[in-house]
Amino acid sequence: MNSLDPRVKRLPVIGQPGQIEPKAPLDQFGTFEVFVQPKEGKPFQHEGIVHAPNLEMAFVLAKEAFTRRFMCVSIYVVDTRHVYTSPMTEGNVSVFGFIHETPAQAGEKISYEIYQLIKRGKQHIHAGTVQAVSPQEAMSEAKKVFSTDNKVIYNLWAIRTSDIRFTKPEEQELWLTLPEKKFRDASAYKAGDKLTEFLDKQKN
Amino acid sequence: MNELALKELLYKMADDQLILGHRNSEWTGFGPLLEEDIAFSSMAQDKIGQSHALYSILHSLGEQEPDTIAFTRHADQFHNCLLTELPNGEYDFSLIRHFLYDTAEIIRFDMLTQSSFKPVAELAVKVRAELRYHTLHANTWVKQLGSATEESISRLQHSLEYALPYALGIFEESPYEKELIAEGIFGGEQALKEKWKTKVEEVINQTQLQLPDWKTMQPILGGRKGKHSEHLQPLLDEMSEVFNIDPTAEW
Repeated sequence: MNSLDPRVKRLPVIGQPGQIEPKAPLDQFGTFEVFVQPKEGKPFQHEGIVHAPNLEMAFVLAKEAFTRRFMCVSIYVVDTRHVYTSPMTEGNVSVFGFIHETPAQAGEKISYEIYQLIKRGKQHIHAGTVQAVSPQEAMSEAKKVFSTDNKVIYNLWAIRTSDIRFTKPEEQELWLTLPEKKFRDASAYKAGDKLTEFLDKQKN
Repeated sequence: MNELALKELLYKMADDQLILGHRNSEWTGFGPLLEEDIAFSSMAQDKIGQSHALYSILHSLGEQEPDTIAFTRHADQFHNCLLTELPNGEYDFSLIRHFLYDTAEIIRFDMLTQSSFKPVAELAVKVRAELRYHTLHANTWVKQLGSATEESISRLQHSLEYALPYALGIFEESPYEKELIAEGIFGGEQALKEKWKTKVEEVINQTQLQLPDWKTMQPILGGRKGKHSEHLQPLLDEMSEVFNIDPTAEW
């Protein structure tokens, strides 16, 4: 069936008897995780995902998908498959109990960005950077560094720093005029006030 | 300062941004993928905002209110280049136009940050920052699709060849080139065109697209003098529809 609506295209076609075929892959891009720094000095936080054919396109598309309205000074993106996640805990159990100490591994230590989930239902927030040989060791290092205070952390992410597409210094000005774009906020239109005024007029 | 020369420059820049901003906004809701729909719509909004800022400078120089300038003129009073008014066509053409146009605009506004006319120099710093995203977006897409599949390459190639003579019309000279350059208001269309060619070559050379020989291209001119294609008036009619029903409408 030919349609511009992708949902229609995905409808199963009525087949012929005896026909056996491999399942067709969906015609769509992979996903990339988007992290946003809302203000200078604040940590990066996970904001959501974009679909894109590659890392560079993901960066381009993430900029408008996630930083059209609110304050932002920098973003970065990483392929979803490059985000390593710890188990998620239940109740008031901290994730650090679920992370095993990794014995020292041979190999070159590289840098990993560690994200932690501090509030359920909220975004993962950047905690810091550790040096490790593997994602497992990065989690174990994160446990040593970040489990010192008594805060309960529900989940951890580790991302190889070299897998990230950062905002380049010359791109820092991409958000220069963002604070002036008040017209992108629904509140700037005072729609509620206008509606009240209109309804009052109707009554009189 | 030569005010006629300055106004001529501001009008053509503002009209370009308004008309292309409106054209690009026609993609809202129809973009090839959700994220791209949002990005392209945002950039269209930026362009309308940039035209508003330029019309406001014109207003401070004694011209009428921005809304009046934008919504009440007839096609032959517009100074936009023909490239900006052409219908959107398929996405390949819209993308190539966006690439060719914004590559010129970021260089234009970069030059204008040095303008002797301070209000324009100050605005140019902000506009250049917005255009940095527009050109990053355009360059990334052109590099992506210009090297992807046989279909994407041939579609972009076709659109590139169609759009280039119109793109050369961006640089149609003003009667005041000498005055603008002499007074340090703007470095001139010739200087802009040469920088633009270099940048276009730099991006196209990173793809499998073929740039035709510049010498074989005949620029399509007229827009700067108010000579437009049949496509501009219907665009203006649609854009000013609400304003014409109720000029005081607010939303």
